[in-house]
Parts: sequence; C-alpha cells; structure tokens
Amino acid sequence: MDVNAINPILASFTEVLPLLGFSQVTKKKVSLAGSTLAYDGILLNVAVVGSIKGVLLLGMSFEDAKKFASKMMMGMEVLELDSLAQSAISEMTNMVCANACTQFSKADIGGLDISPPTLMMGTGGMATLPVPQAIIIDFDCDGIEVKLYVGLA
Amino acid sequence: MAVRVMIVDDSPFSRTLIAETLTEGGFEIAGEADSLESALKTYEEVQPDLVTMDIAMPEHDGFEVSRALLRHDPKAKIILSSSMKDEETEMEAKRIGVSGYVQKPLEAETLFTIIEKVLSPDTLFQELMDRGLETFKEALAQNLTRMAKTPVEFIEDADIEEPYRSKGVTTVIGIIGQYTGTMIMDLAFEDAEKIAETLLRRPAKDREEVLAMVAELANIVGGIACSMLNKREKSLGLRVSPPSMFHGNSAELVSPRVKIQKSLARTQYGEIFLGIGFKKGSTLWM
Repeated sequence: MDVNAINPILASFTEVLPLLGFSQVTKKKVSLAGSTLAYDGILLNVAVVGSIKGVLLLGMSFEDAKKFASKMMMGMEVLELDSLAQSAISEMTNMVCANACTQFSKADIGGLDISPPTLMMGTGGMATLPVPQAIIIDFDCDGIEVKLYVGLA
Repeated sequence: MAVRVMIVDDSPFSRTLIAETLTEGGFEIAGEADSLESALKTYEEVQPDLVTMDIAMPEHDGFEVSRALLRHDPKAKIILSSSMKDEETEMEAKRIGVSGYVQKPLEAETLFTIIEKVLSPDTLFQELMDRGLETFKEALAQNLTRMAKTPVEFIEDADIEEPYRSKGVTTVIGIIGQYTGTMIMDLAFEDAEKIAETLLRRPAKDREEVLAMVAELANIVGGIACSMLNKREKSLGLRVSPPSMFHGNSAELVSPRVKIQKSLARTQYGEIFLGIGFKKGSTLWM
C-alpha cells in the first residue's frame, strides 16, 4: 500500500479527536510492518469494504485506554475499562473510520463502507491482518499513545 | 396524533415550502432551525418524531448537523434532502446513520412515503435478526461437514455473555450492505491444528498454515451465509470483508455497538464458537 494513501486517515484522526475534547493530536511516527503484529492492551477492529478493502485497527495500552475514555467523558474518573469506557472508545473508533471513508472519497476513492468495531482486550496477543503489509501510525493525543494500524489494499 | 416534524434548512423560503407541504399532508411542524446550534437547541426543546435536513447549508452542512444531532440522540430520525443523488452522498448518509434521503425538489408524495417508511418498524432488519444466526450456522455446518468430514451439532444459542473469552484463535469478518454487521469465529489452536491436518491430509507445516486454514474457513462460511441471505432477500446486498485474526493468547472480546447472537458448534475436533451481529439503521433512498 502506498504510504500516501494514509493521508485520508491522518486527516480523519486529526479532525475527529478535537471534536471529542483532545487539544493536541500529534503524529509521532509512521512505520511499516508485516501482516502479523503483537499487541498488549486493547485493539479495535473495523473492516473496510469498497474499492479498497481491508481493516483499520486502533490500539492502546490498558492504562492509556482508561485515560482516553476518561478524557472523552469530560474527565470522569475511569478506574476500570468497563462497558461505558469500551463504548466510548468504540464510538471514537467508529467516528474516525467513518470520517476516513469520507476523506478517501475526497481523494477519489469512493464507495467505502465500514463494519461496526470489535474490541479485543488482552496481553501478549497477536493480530494477523488480511494484507501482506500494514502501516502503523503512532499518535500522541494529549499525552496518550494511540496506534493506528492500516491494512488496506 | 399527528407526526411532529422539525425542519432544518438555512433558507426561510425552503422551510416555508416544506412546512406547507407537510402541514397539507397532516403533519405537525414542531420546530424550525437554520444552523447547527439552533438545530440542537430546537431539537432539545421540541423533541420531534422526525427531522428533515437540508445538506447544503453555510458553516455546518447537513451531514455535520446530522452527526451532532445523532450524537445528542442516537435514536433521532433524520431525513436528508439534497439536489445531489450519487453513490458517495448515499454512503456518507449511511455511515452517519441518517434514516432516509430524498432528492430535491421535494415531491409531496415521495416525502410522505419516506416519512411513513422511516417511522414504520424495520421488518427487513427483524427478518435478518431472526434468520441471521441460523443461516451462518447452516453455512458452518455444511462446510465443516464437507471439508473436514465431521458431523456438527449446535449446543447453545444465546446472546453473548460479555466479554467473551477467546479460546485461542479468533477470526473477525466485517459485513457490509443494507445493514452492517460482524461475524466472529473462535476455536482453540489445537482444534484448528486437527482440522488443518484433516484438510491437508498431513500435519500443518507451521502456525501460519493453521491460521490460513482458519481464515479460509471463516471466509467461506461468511461468504456463503451472506449469499444465502441475499438470495432470500435481494435488497440486503450483504458483502464480507477479508478476515482479521487474533491469536496467541486468550483475549476478551466485546462488540459494544452490536448485540452478538452466539452459538457453539460441537465437532469431533472440539467446539467452535460462532457469533453474529447486525446493526440496525439503514438509509432509505428515494
């Protein structure tokens, strides 16, 4: 996948997060990986179908996921990643991915639709994406580390 | 009691025109708004049954206002109106979750029909919910029996207990179409190894070969089940995404936006978990 193809996803992420109360959203690093990735914490899977196909995954450590959910819930204390916190983070993932489809359509890649997010939570897990190569974008969102895995072809 | 409609349009002329059409059709105008701020405020005040929304508005367009209204009330029923009618506008409307889309200039009969449809129970979705899991079970049983020569018996149908704990190898497939959804297949790695050995007629070379077999099986099951559902009801137009796989540990799995129905298939190789969920909310397009 062409690295430039991540621009719609970058645009989406930096557009949506400020709407959810984040003031500083910075892209830290873009790297390439194979189809199998290790994860520790949470991983949200959203499938993409259309003129390009594949998956967008969003990952965070458990601690960062709690901080993220707290931020989305206007600073409410989040001690456990309970169903409310899971729902908040899923909602954000859905918004980012839906908005990314809109950004793709502006770049003449149209007709994309997304599945509802599925959330995996675990330590020492592996994810295998349906593409030979994935692009990983590391973001810093007000001090919270978020990884976005792009597996589209 | 008359259906109460709120009109969002920046043009006073358009609002008057829509209001007159709706009033003549026996609807009640609950409120009017011309911007994102006034739409949110009026919606909160009047709590309408339905919102008509212009797309082209200065500052925030109808998509943005719809997003804001749906964030405020996920059950809000919104009918977008625009002179444009193309695939991308339709997809955008669907992704946001608006209920209907009608092309301008608004014809009274078309508008009334779409309002009626938007407010009536979604029987197509209900049918999909009634039939969905059974169809996926049938596809799994048929293909496992054919490919791995094992009889399949289903031992449990119930709503998923959240969070579900994976047995080791989880495959997630996204479903797109009139409704979007998710298929989840999960089994222990050792059981997957045994199935792979039967299919390959030799032990799998490595872990990757086992995972590839599971991905292929899930892909076939998802594809066949969606084809069966589409055959019965063409307008569903279901399509599957390529599978993502999660393995190497025992992760917990939840699907916060979709209620998953589950079943457990008992085979000679062990148990296979099957979870299916669809999301309500399709966009009517007229």
